[in-house]
Amino acid sequence: MISIPAAFLICTVAVLSIGVFVWREASVRREFSRPSDHSGLDDDAAELLYCPPEFVARVFSPDDCKFVSSARSRQLNQLFRRERKVVALVWVYQTKLAIRRVMREHTRVTRQSQDLHFATEAQLVLSYMQLILVCNLLCLAIQSAGPARLGTLANYADSLSQRIAQARHGLAVATSSAELRGVNPLS
Amino acid sequence: MVRIFPSSRASILIQGGRYGSGGQRRIMLTHLISWGGLAVELLLLVRGVQQKLVSRYPIFYSYILFIFASEIASQFFDPAKHPYLFFYWITEFLGLFLGCMIVFELYRIGLSEYPGTARMARAVLGVLFLIASLRTVIATAEVPLWWINATPAQVEGTLRVFEALAIISLVVLFLFYSIPFGRNLRGILLGYGIFVSWSVVCLTFASGGPDKSHSLWSYTYSASYVVALLVWAGHLWSYQPNPQPVRAIPLEKEYLRMAAATQRRLEGARGYLAKAVRS
Repeated sequence: MISIPAAFLICTVAVLSIGVFVWREASVRREFSRPSDHSGLDDDAAELLYCPPEFVARVFSPDDCKFVSSARSRQLNQLFRRERKVVALVWVYQTKLAIRRVMREHTRVTRQSQDLHFATEAQLVLSYMQLILVCNLLCLAIQSAGPARLGTLANYADSLSQRIAQARHGLAVATSSAELRGVNPLS
Repeated sequence: MVRIFPSSRASILIQGGRYGSGGQRRIMLTHLISWGGLAVELLLLVRGVQQKLVSRYPIFYSYILFIFASEIASQFFDPAKHPYLFFYWITEFLGLFLGCMIVFELYRIGLSEYPGTARMARAVLGVLFLIASLRTVIATAEVPLWWINATPAQVEGTLRVFEALAIISLVVLFLFYSIPFGRNLRGILLGYGIFVSWSVVCLTFASGGPDKSHSLWSYTYSASYVVALLVWAGHLWSYQPNPQPVRAIPLEKEYLRMAAATQRRLEGARGYLAKAVRS
């Protein structure tokens, strides 16, 4: 038998998840009434980009910060940091929304799919959750340290994403070769 | 009405009525919960037959009928005698089995139009079942014959925990895949979810032993069932179908193409994020 705190935890999670499900029902119905069109899934990833990478790179670069600091005006420095933080946060929120949209479109189409693969789907879900987590961490880091000091987190995220990319590359190769042959790679 | 304690411990409530200061009130509350529950069950069954909901949700109405019938039958037993104890726990476990079948009905009807999500649900529930089996094997290896020494409340509590986890897993899938539910099915899920969740807490307290089995938990357990009945009565007053999806996926192997496209897009987002922050 479980402990009393664990029982309360299970009870709370169950009630909350059911509550969220009932509460979100109206928005799901609205979304559901729209005709499903999955042609968007074939589009290139570039559609995600709301602003050019050069601009984003600039937001996170310490160069501007150094330049403003050289003016030795405390007021200007504070104003710059505040504004830069807001711009960086807006960018992360937009990216998070875009990632959510990608997954929503995916689930809207695949929920009716007859040949869904659990392993592939689980990997996509994990990947999605990881990206959302990175976005949330970025938000926290920007709020606490500012956009120009994200080096440590960026390096960690980079190494993590590279490891996952290697693992996913193997799956992508298997998937595309099976698509050509018309066989299920995971069966 | 589903009761948490066998007669030996449930009689605490009645004894409180004889010797305690607020005893009369407690007896009245017990009767109110018991007869109120029976009345709502009867109402549910009558409306179910009138609205032909019985044929649409057969397992759910079998559950309600079973609880109703067992409650009526329990009136013929003397709570102080031993046969009542057997009757109580046999009906309790049969009710638990039918309750698990309600979860299956939620899955069957709710995901009938969504084979992709249904496949995910089968896999997730399979994993959950595997974990439960492994846990049982480990527990048996550590303490052989634990199931002989365990009280019925402990066994039921453990089963309710896995039922609650199965409900949580299904709800998370429904949320993630934005599965729309009609009013009827939503009501069944809401009511049964509340009842199972609270029973996990109550049974955990009850299995702590007679000292800890305070009558408050007995009341709240019974009251949570009445709350569930009221939710069901409200949501199952008339038939409301589940929303039907606009289109189906006709092509075979389309999933792989869609998964690859999503993978590409997420990969793009990942690269975009990494590139921006690294710079």
